[in-house]
Amino acid sequence: MPITVNARRLIEDNTMQPGFFNHLLLICQFEIKRGFATRKGLLSLVTFTVIWYFILLYPLRFAAELLVQENGLKQNFSFFDFIGFSSIQHWSIPEFGVFWHFALMIFPMLSITLAADQTCSDRERGTLRFIVVRSSRDWIFFGRFAGVMLIQALLIVATTFSTLALVLTRDATLVASALPDLLALIVNLILIVLPFTAMMAALSAQVKSARQATLWAILIWTFMAGMINGLAYYLPALDFLKFLIPGYQLSGLAQLSGWRTLQLAYIPLLQSLILLALGRWIMTRQAL
Amino acid sequence: MRSPIIQCQQLNHVYSGKVALNDVNFELDAGEPIGLVGPNGAGKTTLLSILSGFLRPTSGTVRLFGHPPGAAQLNGKVSALPQDARLDPSFTLIEQLVFYARLQGLTTQSAILEANRVLEAFALAEAAHEKPGVFSHGMAKRAAIAQALIGKPTLMFLDEPTAGLDPVNVRTVRSIIAEQSSATTFIISSHDLTELDRLCQQILLLENGILQTEKIQINDQQTATRFITLQMESCPALEVTAKFQALEGILQVTNPQKNEFIVAYNSDLQPNMDLQLMQCIQTNHWQYRQLSHGKTLEEKLFFRD
Repeated sequence: MPITVNARRLIEDNTMQPGFFNHLLLICQFEIKRGFATRKGLLSLVTFTVIWYFILLYPLRFAAELLVQENGLKQNFSFFDFIGFSSIQHWSIPEFGVFWHFALMIFPMLSITLAADQTCSDRERGTLRFIVVRSSRDWIFFGRFAGVMLIQALLIVATTFSTLALVLTRDATLVASALPDLLALIVNLILIVLPFTAMMAALSAQVKSARQATLWAILIWTFMAGMINGLAYYLPALDFLKFLIPGYQLSGLAQLSGWRTLQLAYIPLLQSLILLALGRWIMTRQAL
Repeated sequence: MRSPIIQCQQLNHVYSGKVALNDVNFELDAGEPIGLVGPNGAGKTTLLSILSGFLRPTSGTVRLFGHPPGAAQLNGKVSALPQDARLDPSFTLIEQLVFYARLQGLTTQSAILEANRVLEAFALAEAAHEKPGVFSHGMAKRAAIAQALIGKPTLMFLDEPTAGLDPVNVRTVRSIIAEQSSATTFIISSHDLTELDRLCQQILLLENGILQTEKIQINDQQTATRFITLQMESCPALEVTAKFQALEGILQVTNPQKNEFIVAYNSDLQPNMDLQLMQCIQTNHWQYRQLSHGKTLEEKLFFRD
């Protein structure tokens, strides 16, 4: 095989050992490319966009219109009190209140499916072996986690801005008052998906397929929540274990609005740290 | 000071109760390609997987250039062709090779050049923008070998590099190994002993997870007893054996396979045994296909006295 002198010299001149962040960035970029520029990624995006379009167009718009009408009537009884969504009324912009409740359900579920295949398919196929001779397992694990988080963050930003667009079509003067709430929503939703993505990173490092990872996530989530709740009922001292369940704070968050939602931010941050440490431990010991 | 590129000490690996590697100890220096042979299940792939950092040994230590496998210091220095590993079907071949080159520290421009260089070497330039999902077995194998050649690795592990390749590509792989062996030390696991016989100067033999303590040298012509391997055209085996036995200096003639004879002789008594054998063949009007000095690698490894 002839190796041209120029190409060889170029390699020698331009070869340098990339550091941790450089590798993290390269792996993260590749994951974003997987999310937005591959057939599978695009299919997931189109599906999400269609679902979100219908949520925006029907439940979100109608609920917001209903809320505006109720506010105008100044009545003592609200339909949202009746269905248990009274906290929606605490948001200054009704659309954001409705969005908040939908987002609390949709984004954790999205995270469980979207982040399920961080390493498992590549490990089963052997592709991870090609990467691991060039990059450490830590870089791969955290790079892919960061990539999936970025994809979700972009989806969160896109959905919040589409909700803002809905608000502005109703009343364009609300733009200034909407922006702080918009930012609070984005920060909160990113924090919410963080432990779910970390849980999927850990599961993906262990199981053989994305489907298995999703199934295990649902099983672990359900059984762990059930067991911990049961234990805490008989031994109240173990109540703190509830903090280990990703999404534990969601019911509490649903009652909060605006920047007050950040009061519970420490829970997902702590959970993410624990789950990432567990995932890294699995990844470094896993046979590829 | 001599510093081996590979050091394995008391290496053990157990797969769900089955011992795959049993107290493997060896040190290898940089140099000519080294063959790793052994029967199926002997632990060759396990050993290469541990050396490449794909697998953690149950116990023991491994050092490549003084670092554990997978260490950041080995990035770009060590490359591997893993057995049965496939590229990501979601990305084109060139996208993946450029990504790998970038991980090795190349700039985008030189990564593109390097990816194209290795693709051209394996006649894959036309498939550069295709996704590996549509590749035939041979193409996928060539693509996998191409990725191992990115950059300037000084140590390369090749697990069954020619398995499933057509003769033209086998030749390409062989010539690439021969060409790069001055700068790269190849550790090649293969069942193709003829291939290893041609490429390697040293062989490591694994049997039941145990590394045979004696490293087998291809050219072991130090002793007075030497061997000639003779491939004949169709011939009367018993008569050939008897006629060869009658020659001066012959110690033993064996006929391990049809039309193949291994002649052991004393080189002090008869230094030109090859000429004697050819003369004998000519006198008896037999036809020979090939005469080579020494035993075949197969004989050396698996049919030792």
